[in-house]
Parts: sequence; structure tokens; C-alpha cells
Amino acid sequence: MVEALFHPLNIFLLGLGGGFVIPLLYRLGKPWLHAGFFVALIGIVAVSGVSFAGLLQGGPTIEVLTAGSQPPLSINLRFGLWEGFFTFGVNLVALLGALHLWDRLKGNYGALLLYLILVMGIDGMVMTRDLFNLFVFLEIVSIATYGLLGLERRSAAVSAAFKYIMATVIASTLFLLGSVLLYYVTGTLNIDALIEHRAEITGPIGTTALLMVLACLVIELKPFPANGWGLDVYETAPSGIAAMVSVGVSAGVFFALMKLLPLFQDQLGIIAISGGISFLFSNLIGCTQTKVQRMLGYSSISQMGLMMLALALLTEIGAEASIPLVVGGLFVNHLLAKAGLFWLAGVLRQDEVDARTSLSGRPLLLALLALFMVAIAGLPPFPGFWAKWELVMQLTSAGKLPWIAVILTGSLLEAAYMFHWFVRAMRPSDARAEARPDTVALLPVYGIALLLVVAGYIAARISGAASLWIFAPLAVGVVLCALDRLPGRLKAVLMLIAVTLVGFWLAESATGIARLFAVLLLGGSLVIAAASLYRDDPRPGYFPMLAVLLLSIPALLRSTTSLEFFFSWEIVTLASCFLIAKGRGAGPHVLTFLLFSLLSAFFLLAGFAGIASVSGTTSLSALLTAGPDATTALVLLGIGFLIKAGAIGVHVWLPGAYAEADDDFTAMLSAVVSKVAIFGLLTGTYLAIRSQAALELAHGMAWIGMLTTIAGAVMALRQTDFKRLLAYSSMSQLGYIVTAIALMSHLGWVTALYLVANHMMVKGILFLAVAGIILRTGTRSFGETGGLARAMPITFILFVVAIVSMSGLPPLMGFGGKWLLLSAMTDKGWNFLAAAGLFATFLGFLYMIRLVAGLFLGKRQRGQESVRELPIALLVPQALLVVGILVLSLYPKLLMDPVSAAIDPQFASTLVWEGMSLYTIYGYWNPTPVMLIAVAVAAALGVIAWLVYRSGVGRTGNLARFYAYYRRGIEVAVPPVATLFWQGVTDFTLATAATFRQVYTGNGQTYAMVVLFYFLALYLASTGPAGFWIAG
Amino acid sequence: MMRHILVAILVLLFGLIFARMVGGYVELDALRPLALDYVTRAPVELGTPNIITGILITYRGFDTLGEVAVLFMVAASVGLLLKKDDGKASVAKVSSDKVTGEKTAAAKPVLARTEAARAAAARAAAAKANASARAVTTGTMAVKSARGAEPVEDEETASQREPSEIVRTGTEVLLPLIFTFGAYVIVNGHLSAGGGFQGGAIVASGVMLMLLSRPGMKLNVALLSIVESFAGVFYVCLGILGLVLAGGFLDPRFLPIGTLGAFISAGAIPIISALLGIKVGAELSVIIDRFRS
Amino acid sequence: MTTGLPVSTILLITGFALALIGIWGMLTHRNILRIIIGFAVMDTGLHLVMVATGYITAGTAPILDVALSPADAPHRAIDPIPSALVVTAIVIGLSVTAVMLAYAIRLYAAKKTLSIDAFTESKW
Repeated sequence: MVEALFHPLNIFLLGLGGGFVIPLLYRLGKPWLHAGFFVALIGIVAVSGVSFAGLLQGGPTIEVLTAGSQPPLSINLRFGLWEGFFTFGVNLVALLGALHLWDRLKGNYGALLLYLILVMGIDGMVMTRDLFNLFVFLEIVSIATYGLLGLERRSAAVSAAFKYIMATVIASTLFLLGSVLLYYVTGTLNIDALIEHRAEITGPIGTTALLMVLACLVIELKPFPANGWGLDVYETAPSGIAAMVSVGVSAGVFFALMKLLPLFQDQLGIIAISGGISFLFSNLIGCTQTKVQRMLGYSSISQMGLMMLALALLTEIGAEASIPLVVGGLFVNHLLAKAGLFWLAGVLRQDEVDARTSLSGRPLLLALLALFMVAIAGLPPFPGFWAKWELVMQLTSAGKLPWIAVILTGSLLEAAYMFHWFVRAMRPSDARAEARPDTVALLPVYGIALLLVVAGYIAARISGAASLWIFAPLAVGVVLCALDRLPGRLKAVLMLIAVTLVGFWLAESATGIARLFAVLLLGGSLVIAAASLYRDDPRPGYFPMLAVLLLSIPALLRSTTSLEFFFSWEIVTLASCFLIAKGRGAGPHVLTFLLFSLLSAFFLLAGFAGIASVSGTTSLSALLTAGPDATTALVLLGIGFLIKAGAIGVHVWLPGAYAEADDDFTAMLSAVVSKVAIFGLLTGTYLAIRSQAALELAHGMAWIGMLTTIAGAVMALRQTDFKRLLAYSSMSQLGYIVTAIALMSHLGWVTALYLVANHMMVKGILFLAVAGIILRTGTRSFGETGGLARAMPITFILFVVAIVSMSGLPPLMGFGGKWLLLSAMTDKGWNFLAAAGLFATFLGFLYMIRLVAGLFLGKRQRGQESVRELPIALLVPQALLVVGILVLSLYPKLLMDPVSAAIDPQFASTLVWEGMSLYTIYGYWNPTPVMLIAVAVAAALGVIAWLVYRSGVGRTGNLARFYAYYRRGIEVAVPPVATLFWQGVTDFTLATAATFRQVYTGNGQTYAMVVLFYFLALYLASTGPAGFWIAG
Repeated sequence: MMRHILVAILVLLFGLIFARMVGGYVELDALRPLALDYVTRAPVELGTPNIITGILITYRGFDTLGEVAVLFMVAASVGLLLKKDDGKASVAKVSSDKVTGEKTAAAKPVLARTEAARAAAARAAAAKANASARAVTTGTMAVKSARGAEPVEDEETASQREPSEIVRTGTEVLLPLIFTFGAYVIVNGHLSAGGGFQGGAIVASGVMLMLLSRPGMKLNVALLSIVESFAGVFYVCLGILGLVLAGGFLDPRFLPIGTLGAFISAGAIPIISALLGIKVGAELSVIIDRFRS
Repeated sequence: MTTGLPVSTILLITGFALALIGIWGMLTHRNILRIIIGFAVMDTGLHLVMVATGYITAGTAPILDVALSPADAPHRAIDPIPSALVVTAIVIGLSVTAVMLAYAIRLYAAKKTLSIDAFTESKW
């Protein structure tokens, strides 16, 4: 009985019966009407849900027969796992969508019945196994859409709907003719029979008919450039309808394509290319779009393109086993996230990306928006992430590298315009907060967000990466989010406790060098995070996100597969991005940060995929066995990590992000988060050493590191803003570490780790001190500070200790690292590099002197007489870090021993450097002479610089003026090449997009013509020119 | 000009594809197995001499049900699109536009009866479009000529308001014939050429004639849509009866098949046919009426 | 009729020709009503093509009556499927035309013109 009640056939009984009854219920009164509508719709959802659940528990595929006869005589339908998945997903979203649309639907019986039959029609498209019946359902869906589009009566909406009708009528006409001609050729309309007799579909009529069917489905998915009509509808339709077209109708059409795919075995390449073009170009053109719904339309189209591409390519390479995860993941991701975005845009009544409807006062809505964006961009933990990962893995192993470039480029562009909207929405608005959208209107949006999270978890399960620990950071974040109403400091304490407990639990399982990093970074991050107690404002969302960030780092370090690594990597990226976004002036820099992070992530993805295809496994231990084949992969990984480490040329994201983040968070970014990239680089280089393939690349990397150091120092000298100066100094110091890693030797690695520890503590102190100075003086400019040593003596002492350690002067720990580095370079014969290192040291001294002098020495500024010592909450962490520096300076073995222990087993044969153990090397290379030489050189250069400065007329011995003189010189001599270059790239992209979007003239007739030409192009691509010749 | 060249190329290419298909076409000389199955089994299994009706209502009944849904949705869509409450403003605007172009004397009676005015305005709109279509091809010019053609149409509308003697009498004579013929086609669907759709269309054409000859007449749309809904519900119910009492959804064999060729035979096919006829007739009439207002 | 083309080929050619005329009409005329007529013509042409493909040489309508006995039917009846499909296709074509006409009325109400060039509000 239950079985009969939830038989899939009932979807149609409910849909049609419900539809026919609705006008009658309308006569009875509105309550009846509404009750009837929801009974039918919920019934449809329940039927598909229960049947799907039955299948999931291993039930057999349900065959639905009609007319009491067997197919092919009668029409049959099928409800298998795939069908269940699609129908249940679409029905559920349709139910939520009805709630979203309720304002327009209620009382309007025409719209209600159209909506109901639309949902049924989509289910029919998914379930039917008869080609002509598919056409009928396609028409049901189309006509329901036409009718629903009439709900919006603005002129633009009506004309958009008309264009939509023209194009889709052409498409369905092609389908109609194609299916009847297929009947002529094969004598059947049953899809299974057609697939069975695929070989018989030949000759001019058979081929053309097949292509007509294919063209219809492809066109219905709105391929570039034949998609202006679809975009217009996305732009002008009510958000609920646009969402339904985007996720529901497209799902039905896409499923039809999937179902018929065995017929299109010869056209797989064409389908993939069509999808690829749509994906790339829609995302490109989307970049210039300012209307929210139209932008979402571009994104919808691109997602469909991606799904087409994935489906065709995976089928082509025989990776059918991955289709459920990839296509299913992409589908459910698009279904939920895109519907959510459309609804959210509708609820906010936001038409323009730049509209002044700021979300900054509504953290919950902002969080929802962020959630959907993250999902759309294919970032974890949502299904799209797992799907894209699997897709790239499969394509790499099949050697389809150009396709990966297409996928990653398109994804990056998509992230660019989506997050551009996010950043715009987030910026603080001067406008008064408008009336809040009512909770009821937001219910569907909440519902769909929840579904998205669940879907992400399920996809992770399917990927085999769902373990407690990998989700632990997010879980802690969610718990802290729930407590976000508590006072700021209490939240900070809770966060510290949570990070301590969970963090060390996570770090426990890390091994070797990763464990060392984990303990070091966790300790450092706890100390620095404690500094956030200095602020007592609530900082909504800050602490949960910080917990996610800090916990993801140990999670990343304990990863055993590249998938786990990449997952945590992306979470680190996202968490830092959202935390940076909390800074007041961070707006434009957030996007830059995110885009470069994603660029880096995509290189990593490609690199990991490359390694997996060489070694056949995603286990990180595969790095040990990868041979010389992995060189390309290594280069990709290296580029990815270097971008994230802020190497020269791709550093442009760094200063803005560091300078504009919250002051205490900058300390975290520079001290802790930047080390994640360094860890990656270490691991990646390790691969290079093992594979013996890329040792020659090491020299190049060393130069990159050194140039980064010099460039960072030069740009630091140019700053008048001391926080920015420190940001560039960070870049400069990271350059040293990169160079150390590039030494590719045991010694280099020890040096690198030494520098890492040093830099973490030093930058923690400096940025926290700066945070305090900004707090006390309210300025970030050298021009408005000076003479603070007396006002804040403790800070001054701590600051100087840090500066000394950073400069590498004895006796502090920076000394060990830096001089070892210089010695190692000379020893390796990299003399030019060593010379560059000397120059960099000189520049470093210069900006460090400027920093100390500009802040603490000289005269007090007017109005700063009352400036006090920093708050205790900032001093204690700094003091702790200073203690760390002192301890490690006095007892280097404390660090050396674990470092050696961590590195030794990994280095196996290269453990011993020219027959000497580490300590001997350290003793053998007496660093003092090297240091003396270096300091002497630096001093000499300094004197020369001073003399040059004094040689001019009327120049006095004022230090500030000395720097101002050289700043001008640097500005002339070193234009911001990298910034200009990336600006050029952006401009070029936008200009290209602006060119391509000229195809969208807005004229429906032209669109119809393009659609017909699209068919001709598909036809030509499939048959070649012979297809246009009567005997061809 | 550019567009014409492009379209010419397009049509030429499609022509070549079509030509190639015609070249590859071979007229069949025997039925394929599936078609043969239908031809031999339909009369035996369903008891319907008209095999096409058998296919439409039984074997591919699911299609037909969908088709009915399509028509039903069109009636709803057209209603939604041409809804009056919202449309009132725009229609009023049209008529007021007209007023400005007309002599006031002529305008008064138009405005006096709003119902008629609305109808007239809609007709004027359609007529204008026709006139413009007739006059020129290029878009921009169409606009101008539509304006220029206005006075002429107003005369036309005026004359349309009162149908001539011939039309009225002709309608009176023809209508019963048309309706009877429609009913005949509907109920004989299982025996000879015809069926619900065809008969329904004939009935609706009668309705159309009626409306043309008496523009002022009002159709009881409410009643028609109730009829239409009930027909649909009954259709689904018959389908369910088939599911419960016979072989499957939409199986008409829960009623006796009777003798081949008898009026009462072929199970529930005639009933379904009749329901279809009623539904199609009602739906098309509603659609026609909606276009009128 | 012994020479020349088989009857269904003639129908096929006629149908395709009509479809081409329809395409030409819907892409060159600026008036929306004419465009809709173009669609209708194309549809009709293709319906003709579909019916033609069901023809069996020297066949007759698949209706059993005096002219076609049950025993004869398998040899002389034409393929009933295309005819059945075309009924559906015609109804759907009519439905689409009706919706398009309704939209045409709304478009006219919005801009007082039926030129397709006037309705290019959304682009890019």
C-alpha cells in the first residue's frame, strides 16, 4: 500500500490532477486553492523522496509502465538512482522556490497550476524513456515557463520572454523533427531501443536527425554565443522564476542529454567543446556585468557548460565511475547555490552589483551570500569542490591538459565576478539600514543553505575524505558562531580554549617536519591570537572564523593525501580572506587576495593532479616515490606556493591585504599564515630533490627568493605608512626563506626552518606593537609619529629586540639563520646571489633603522603628549615572543634537535653534507667573519648613500629627510611594474569581455538567427563540409 | 541588407541539409515491426478500428495526457498574460490614445461603454498590426504606417460592431451544423477519422464564428473553465481506473471491448475521446475569448 | 504517376520548402505578427515532412473499415505512428502560437509598436 502510495507514477497524477483541480479549488476559495497546491507539491516531493530513499537502500530501479502494455509499444518511464537524485533535488528546490515566490503565486491560480505542472514536467523529462514523450515534457516545461515569465509585466521582461520563446521554439522544433526522423530511420521511439540500435542510425537522415536532437538539448542549455535570449530572461524575470529556469529547467534538459548520451558517442568532442566555450566565455563576459541577476545568469550558463564538458569528457575517457561524483556534485552544487543566490538577490531587491543596499549591517545575510559564493566558486566544503577535484584528477590522468586550463581559467573568472559582488555588498554603507527583509522570505534561503552544507558532507563522504578531523575546524567554527552574541573578550577566550584543545589534538597526528611546523605555528598563533583581547568590541564573526583558520593549519599539516591537503589549504585561504575582509579599508584588497589565492590554489590543484597521474595515488607519501616524470607537476606546485608566499611579480596581493586587515590579524597573517605556503614549498622542493629532475630549477628559485627580498626591501623603503612598510618587510623576509629552501640541501632546510621560527616571532612582535601604536596614536604615518620611546618604554625594548633579531645581528637567533644562508650560497658557488644577499642586507638595515627611528626616536608629535604604554593584552604576547627569541638564541639546540630529527629521516641519503653532520657544519662555517664582512659592506654602502645625500646643496643631517630623498629616487627608478602588469591583465580581460559581449544585441530576431546558425555549426562540426552536399 | 544576406546563407545551408535528407529518403514499402504490432494488435486488444486513435489514447496515452496539459497551461498562460486587472491601465491607455487621434464626437460612444471600448481597442490593436504588416516590411516604417492607418481602422471597427444580415443569418444556420459535426467527430473517434482533438477544434471553430458574428456577446468563461477542469480530472481518474481495474495507467480496457466497429466498443476509449473533445473545445473557446478581451 | 517522384518525396520536398519559407519569414520580417506567422509556416512544413515519412508505398489510412479489412491492414496500412505524433505536434504548435500571440499583445501594449527592433531593452 505504501509502495503504491509513493509510486513514482503518482508524481504525474499529483501534478496533472492537481493542476486540473486548481481552477476548481479557486472557486471554492483561496484557502482551498493554497492547500491544494501545497498538498500536490509536497506530495510530489514526498513521492520522489520516498522512492529515492528506497533506491538508496538498495531497492530495484522502478519501471513505470503505462497503458497496460510493454514498451516499446507503450510509453514507459524509469525511476532509478540518477532519476531519483535529479527529481528529488529539483522537487525539493521547487518547493522552497514556491515559498520564495509566494508573494506572486498566492491567489493566482493560473500561476499556481503552471508552477505545479512545470515541476511535474521536469520530473517527466528526467523519467521518461520515450523520445517523443520527452519532447512532450519538454514542451510542458517550456510552456509553463512561458506562462510564468508573464508574471513580470515590465516591458523589458515581456520582451525578454518573447526572445526566450522564439529561441526555445526553434530548439524544440529541431527536437520534434529529429525524433520523428529517428523514428523513420529506426522504427522505434523507445530510448533504450534506440540506444540498442545506435549503429543503424546512419545516412543523411539518421545523422541529421540525431544532430537535431542533440542541437536542441545543447541550445536549451544556452550555449555561448547562442544564449542572449536566456540571459535576458535571467536578468528580467522574477528571481524565483529565474532560479527555476536556471536550476530546474536546465536540470531537466541536462538530464535528457545525459540519458541520450549513448546515442551521441561520436559527438562527445563537440559536446565538450560546446560546454567548454560556454563555460569560458560566459565567465569572461560575466566579469563586465553589473546587473546581479544577469551576472547570475552568466554563472548559470557557465555551470551548465561545465557540466556538459565534464559529462562528455568523462564518458570519452571511460571514467564513468567518476560521473556520479563529478556531474552529481556539480549539479547539486549549482542547484542549491544558484537557487540560493537568485533568491537572495530577490529578497534583497538588489538589481545592480553596485547598488547601495549594503549588507554590512546584516552579518547573517552576508554569511549566506558568502556561503553561496564559496559554493559556486567550487571551494570547500561544498559539493562543487569535491566534484572539481575529481574532474581535474581524471582529466589529468587522461592527459587532457588543455581542458584543465579551460576549467581553471573559467573558474577563476567566475570567482572574480562573483566575489566582486560580494565585496561590493560587504562594504560599509552610509545609507541608513532599510527595512529588514522579513524572516519568512528568507526561510527558503536558509533551507537551501542547510541543504548545501549537507550535500557538501555527502560529497566528501563519496570522495572518501570525510573524517572527523578534516571537518573539525569547521565544526568548531560553527559552534563558536552559535555563541557569537557573547561579549567580545569572552569569545576570544573561548576561541583560545577551543584552538588549544582541538589544535593540539590535530597536531598530534602530524609527523616529521609537518609536526614541527604544527607545534611551532600553533604555539605562535595562540600567543598572537591572545592579543585580540586588547579590543573589547564584539567583532561579529571574527572569532569563529579565526578559530577555523587556526585549526585548519594543523589540519593541513596532518594531511596524508593531497585532497586533504588541498581541502585544508582552501579553508585557510577562505578563512583568511573573510578575516581580511573585516578590516575597514580592506574592500578592494580582499578581491585581489582571493584571486591570487585561487590562482595559487589552481596551480596546486594542477600540480597535485599531475603527481597523482604519475604515481597513481593521491597519497602525499607518493611524493617520495615520484620520479622525474613529475617535473611539470613540481613546477606547477612551486608556482602555486610561490604565489601564496608573495614572491616577486605575484606579490601584489600582499601589501594591501596585510596593511588593510585588522591590526592584530595582520600579525597573524604575517607571522603564522604565510608559513603555510613555506611549508608547501618545502614539501614541494622535497619532491624535486627526490625526483632529481628539477635541481637546475633550484637556482632559479633562489634568485626569485633573493629578488623578492630586494624588491620587498626597496618597496618598504618607499613607504610612509609604517604598517605597510612592515608588510613589505614581511615579503622581503619570506624571500630569504624561499632562497634558503632553494638551496636544496640539509643545511638550507635547517636554515629555512630557523628563519621561519625567527620570522614568526619577530613579525608577531612587530605587528602587535604597530597595532598598539595605531591604537594609541590613531595614525599609520611616519609623518605623525616619533619619539614614542619615552611614552612606551616596554614596547620600545621589545620592538628593538625584534628588530635586532630580524636584521640578523648577533646575538639573537636571526643571526644564525641569515649568516648560514650567506655562507651556504658562497659555498655553493652562487656568488652573485651572495652579493645580492649583501645588498639586500644593507637595504634591510636601512628600512629597519627608519622604522625604529621614525616611531620611537626624534621629537614627539604635537597632541601626542598623553600617549600611554600599550595595553597589557598586547604587551604580554609580545613579551612571550621575545622570551621565545631569547630562549632559542641562547639554546639553539632546542630548535636544532627537533629540526634535524624531523628532516633526517626524510633526507635519507643526502642527510650528511659532504661527510659532515650538521653540528660540524655549523662549527666549521664560523659565521662571524661572514657577518663582519656583511656588516662592513652594509656600513660602507650606508656611508656612501649618506654622502650622496649630503652632497646636494642645503641638505641637513635630518634622518627623515634622508629617507624622503631616497624615496623619491626609488619612486622614479623603480616603477610599480608588477602592479602595472596585473592592472594590464585585468584591463585586457575586461576589454576582451566587452568585445565579446557585443554579440548580445538585445534583438530577439538576431538571437533566433544565431540559434539556427549554432545548429549549422554543430552540424558542420559533426559531418564536415560533406554534410552540405546532396550526395555527401 | 547585411541581415538579408546572412539569412539567405542560412536558408541556403538549411536547404542543402534538407536536400541531402530528401536525397537519402527512401519511401518505405512495408511496415516496420513496431508499426506492424500496432496495426495488428490495436484492433484486437483495444477493439478500435481507428488505429491512430488507439495509439493516441492508449499506447501513447501518456503523450496525449501531456498534450492536454499543454493546452490547459496555454489557457492559463494566456489568461495570466492578458489578465484584465493589470491590463486595464494599458488598455485604457490605448483607447485614450485613440481618443486623442479621433474626433471627440466619435470618441464619446466608445468611452461610454467600457466593455465594448475595450474589445474595440484590442481589435484596433490587432488591426493596426495587420495594417502595418500589410503596408511595409521594415520595422521602423511599420510604426509610422501603423499610426497613419489609424482612421481607416476606426471605420472598420465601427462597421464590425454591427454584423451584417448575411453574417447573422449564416451563423444561425451554420452553428448548429458545426456543433453537431464536432460532436460527431468526437464520439466517432474510435471508429473513423477523428477524435477528441479534431472534434474539439471543430467545436471551438464554431465558437469562434459565433464570437465573430456577435462581438458584443459574452462567453461564460467561468463555466467553461469548470467544465475544462472537470474533464481533466475525469481523464486522470479514468487513467487511475485503468491502473486499478486493468493493466496499467491509462489502460482503457477496464470497460468491455465490445465488437469491433460498434459505436459502443473499444473500452473506455470513446469516453476518453469525449472528455478530450469537451476539454479541447472548452479550452480553445476560452483561449479565443481571452484574446478578444 | 508511374514516372517521377514517389508521392511522399513530393510531400517531403513541399514540407521542407515551406519550412524554409517560414525560416526566411521569421528572420527577415520585423513585425512580430509576421514573425509568428513565420514560425507557424515552418511548423506546418515540418508537420508535413513528418506525416510524409510515415507513408508506405500504395498505403492507405490505418482505419479498419470497408476499404481496409483487418487481414489487409498489415500490408496496406501506412505507418500510424507519425500520424499520431503529428496530432500531438500540431496541438503543441498551436499552443505555442497562442502563447506567442498573447505575448505580442502585451508587447504592443507596452510600446505601441510591433517592431521587433523596439524590444531590445536588455542586452550585454
